Amino acid sequence: MEAFDYMRPTSVVDACAALREAGGTARALAGGTDILVQMREGKLRPAALVSLRDVPGLRSVRRAQDGGLTIGAATRLIDIETSPDVLRDHAALAEAASWIGSVQVRDRATIGGNLCNAAPSADTAPILIAYGSSVTISDGRDERTLPLEDFFTGPGETVLEPGELLTAISVPPAPARSHAKYYKTFRSAMDCCTVGVAVLVVFAPDSRVVEDARVVLGAIAPTPIRAPRCEEMLRGKELDTALMASVGALAAEEARPIDDVRASAEYRRVLAEVLTKRALAAADSWLQKGAGA
Amino acid sequence: MKRELHLTVNGVSYHRLIDTHRTLLEVIRDEIGLTGTKNGCGQGECGACTVLLDGEPVNSCMVLAHEADGHDVVTIEGLADGAVLHPVQRAFVETGAIQCGFCTPGMVLSAKALLDRNPDPTRQEILDGLKGNLCRCTGYVKIIEAVQAASCLLDEEEAS
Amino acid sequence: MKTCIVRRGLPRIDAVPKVTGEARYTVDLKMPGMLIGKILRSPHPHARIRSIDVSAARELEGVLAVITAEDVPGTLFAFMQVMADKHILCTDKVRYVGDEVAAVAAVDDDTAEKAIGLIEVDYELLPPVLSVEDALKPDAPLVHEDKDSNLGFEVERLFGDPDKALAEADYVVEGTYVTHDLAHTCLEVSNCVVKWDKKDRVTVWTNTQAPHTQRQEVARLLGIPRANVRVISSYMGGGFGSKLVTDMKAPIAAVLSRITGRPVRIVNTRSEEFTTAKTRYPYTIHLKTGANKDGRIVVRDMTVIGDNGAYHDKGPATINFSAMMFGTLYNVPNIRAVGKLIYTNRQMGTAFRGFGNPQMAFATESQLDELAEKMGMDPLELRLRNANHAMETTSCGAEVCGCAMTECMEIAAERIGWKQKRNGANGTVLRGVGLANMVHTGGGGRFYGYNSTEAFIKLSDDGTVTLITSALDMGQGAHTAMAQIAAEELGVRLSDVIVLSNDTDLTPYDLGAWGSRATFMNGNAVFEAAREARLALIEAAAEMLEVPAADILVEEGQISVKGSDEKHAIAEIVDHSVNEHGWTISGTGRFVDKLPEGYTIKSAFAKNIPCFSFGTQAVEVEIDAETGQVHVLKVIAAHETGTTINQVMAEGQIEGSVVQGIGFALMERLISEEGRIVNDRFLDYKIPNIGDIPEIEAVCVESEGTKGPLGAKGIGEPGLVPTAPAIANAIYDAIGVRFHELPITREEVVKALREKRE
Repeated sequence: MEAFDYMRPTSVVDACAALREAGGTARALAGGTDILVQMREGKLRPAALVSLRDVPGLRSVRRAQDGGLTIGAATRLIDIETSPDVLRDHAALAEAASWIGSVQVRDRATIGGNLCNAAPSADTAPILIAYGSSVTISDGRDERTLPLEDFFTGPGETVLEPGELLTAISVPPAPARSHAKYYKTFRSAMDCCTVGVAVLVVFAPDSRVVEDARVVLGAIAPTPIRAPRCEEMLRGKELDTALMASVGALAAEEARPIDDVRASAEYRRVLAEVLTKRALAAADSWLQKGAGA
Repeated sequence: MKRELHLTVNGVSYHRLIDTHRTLLEVIRDEIGLTGTKNGCGQGECGACTVLLDGEPVNSCMVLAHEADGHDVVTIEGLADGAVLHPVQRAFVETGAIQCGFCTPGMVLSAKALLDRNPDPTRQEILDGLKGNLCRCTGYVKIIEAVQAASCLLDEEEAS
Repeated sequence: MKTCIVRRGLPRIDAVPKVTGEARYTVDLKMPGMLIGKILRSPHPHARIRSIDVSAARELEGVLAVITAEDVPGTLFAFMQVMADKHILCTDKVRYVGDEVAAVAAVDDDTAEKAIGLIEVDYELLPPVLSVEDALKPDAPLVHEDKDSNLGFEVERLFGDPDKALAEADYVVEGTYVTHDLAHTCLEVSNCVVKWDKKDRVTVWTNTQAPHTQRQEVARLLGIPRANVRVISSYMGGGFGSKLVTDMKAPIAAVLSRITGRPVRIVNTRSEEFTTAKTRYPYTIHLKTGANKDGRIVVRDMTVIGDNGAYHDKGPATINFSAMMFGTLYNVPNIRAVGKLIYTNRQMGTAFRGFGNPQMAFATESQLDELAEKMGMDPLELRLRNANHAMETTSCGAEVCGCAMTECMEIAAERIGWKQKRNGANGTVLRGVGLANMVHTGGGGRFYGYNSTEAFIKLSDDGTVTLITSALDMGQGAHTAMAQIAAEELGVRLSDVIVLSNDTDLTPYDLGAWGSRATFMNGNAVFEAAREARLALIEAAAEMLEVPAADILVEEGQISVKGSDEKHAIAEIVDHSVNEHGWTISGTGRFVDKLPEGYTIKSAFAKNIPCFSFGTQAVEVEIDAETGQVHVLKVIAAHETGTTINQVMAEGQIEGSVVQGIGFALMERLISEEGRIVNDRFLDYKIPNIGDIPEIEAVCVESEGTKGPLGAKGIGEPGLVPTAPAIANAIYDAIGVRFHELPITREEVVKALREKRE
């Protein structure tokens, strides 16, 4: 690994100042499990790393009265996977976190790192988008908030400007009679996902009719993407097997996959269809079992 | 760029001037001279370099040494109590969970951390807890047996 | 004889050092003044080197040497010197992505890396041949321009009259089977430290499976006398065949050390390990099998086209060995085996656990199921009817000694639930069972016209037994097995035995750890040495105690006299011998396994193999028809061990092999784009993870009639030979799709199921 400057500020203000000072050549360092691999391979050559280790307030999960979550960007995946606050209404997020890498990785890796690394296959992104999450970005003076789905601009690219830091992720309360599920497939028990699909279904009161839905596809386009036509098709309809199949088929159409070493584009479409169907089936089965009651 | 680093490794504290781009693995092996921690891939994908950082397993090849500044590290050399093996080590020896041994230090530390968190893991929990450690020799069958045996040994130790 | 030490699953003698981190591997060595060497490798699969500019690298502070082809001996090298085709550093051409072009020695890793980046090579790109098909085209570019074509090696073996038999057989099936590029992925990468000292002696510390042949190879490469080379290995993080033949790191490090006067270390990065540490030879196998209505297989006809990669390594031997196993698995009267090795601009192949046999078994044992279906016969029944039996000689000359083939089949079928589960008896779930047989050498081969080794034992006056053996422990447990054999025969405790090995200055000449040979070969020599030492010990004890030698018993490290409670420590006897005669007690063992009279290396074929080991694996799979995921649920692996020296270690060999076999069948493949391997890391080259393994039941089936020590056979390789065809056969049982190509990935399953529906 090539040498670089290393700073360990003790506040968001100082961290942003350090990032700003180095211009575009500095990167924030949280768990390091992505960035250090890329640096060792020479894919990233930052002149400086700004460690968030000693910055307070970035490593916590807070659950508000209404059930919404505020997650500090440097919260480790292992803490998300085991957090009672997350498990309470957002178990699909905890599960998605638990499927990332190994224990050794999740002991270091953070949710903010997973998002800022902006891999198309980032496992926490689809489920967070399905929940309707937003992100808070600070430049040390001001904060801005935007929907997570607008955060990613391309593989490895986000809206973050030099001097900006992702500080928190806000996850809205899970709607009543809603079910969320993230499915991914992998080539072995430890793998980044070949395709990941997150589906949130909100059922109308006392019925099997879908009131609202979000379908988010991962590892199938340059960034995690919503599948608006799938969502549209679901709304106002009774969730039966035929609908699940149609929505699955549509998800395959909405995907924009590429061929790579992990899978062909064609196979990724197959997976998008299967996983979408299965996530919908999971929602249906949850409903049949009494909607979590 | 060098910077002062304070580390406690296996209960011994070290103060060194270390380049900021050094990993915890490099410091443990090259500066402190503890070579039980292995470098299998350098990319956080094989687990051979697993150490316990404040009791939690991490890939030391993917932790900058200075990120561990002021913290407590346990390597495989720190597990036994003198000549008395830790129950996890004993279980690995007795069940035949070791072949070439290169993955063993990391595997043992992951197993220890798993049992610390979850003293009575199911088979699936053992698989989840150890999936960050690759082994090319054993086929894992006896490693799973070793963790199950270690869980019993720890119970016995607790009871006595 | 009473067996106290063998058969039991005693803990390995190196378990404690390994589990405490005390065990030092070559990669852990540190030496004063040691420099770091790095190799500049070709980024192109095929190119001419116009010029190399090393001036900037030489000027970098901390760089002590930069070398190119001009600075190293111009030796052409190959494992078999008559086929020599590779230089230490490329002279005029590079022939694969990873070929060695230049090297540096520097004070540390960062500096060496930087220096490598400063070397400028001007390449003229040449069109590469990246597949066997391309290489065989009439106008294909030549990988080696001094040769007429890209055909690197050719062999044909004929027994009986296959053409006639094929014409007359009641049933014939024919097919083409393809296997792929596989990496060994030892957890410890290939590495060495070399010191060229002031007395002109070159010491090589390296993780090798064959220190003595490596010593010869390094001497040959450097053009220096063998006496000037010493090879030292230590604890070793896996081998699996990848560390048999010297690669260029050792001679490069030697030259760097000669120039700098300091020890030089070269360690592969994980990426280099994936891209240059050589692969399992990919095979394309054209195969015909014919049988008669009575269920007897009457003919097998095979043509193997092997992808050699850019240079020769173990390819010719691999092809030959495949043919031997092809001829031996069943006793078939008419056999033809044709093998060709084709040069391509790819990473070289080499030995890989099973030595050509896993590729071949995939073809033959898949086709046997196809034949059974055509005949309307149960595949197990077909196999049982054609099973080999003890003490038979097959038509290709294989002398089958002990043989538990039928028993292995019966055990595997019974325990997998063959009768209940076969043919979709599981209802709607896509589950299936399949099985496959194998045969492999259980004791190396007489490929040099002989196979031999020696061992020495000395008893010290403190009662310690020192065993000097060349048995190489790469993790498989050879040292423990040797210590057990010595302890058993000598009558001492396992903890009394110290094993000294791994230094060519100390150990007797030996061919190394390959071909599942250590237990059989080294074990026999150790057994003889222990016997000689025991007789000497008894003689000395009889003299000291003044009783007849026949009355002396040696058990658990103590001497006693029949009919008496009196016990004496071995130390007392040795002490007595030293004081009385001036010598300690020792034993020498030699085991020479020659070709039978009248055979030559060329004509011997299956007579090369001193002992065969049979086995059967039965597999149950479950398939997700939507994602194509194949879940192996259960594997019964019944393998013949002769006498099991160490139950736990033998099971461990089988279990580890089965899991490598699952990787071979379903997961692992090196993927190239334009000759560059793109999945050069564990993230994308998938070896089985602990979460991927099925329930595995390893069964050691004992058999009699083997010349191994205490009746033992080798068990290092057999376990992965039948796994892939057993899985392929189980998949066929589950979904009715026959795969002729490995690996059987999720995508291929989905594609095949779709084609089947259409």
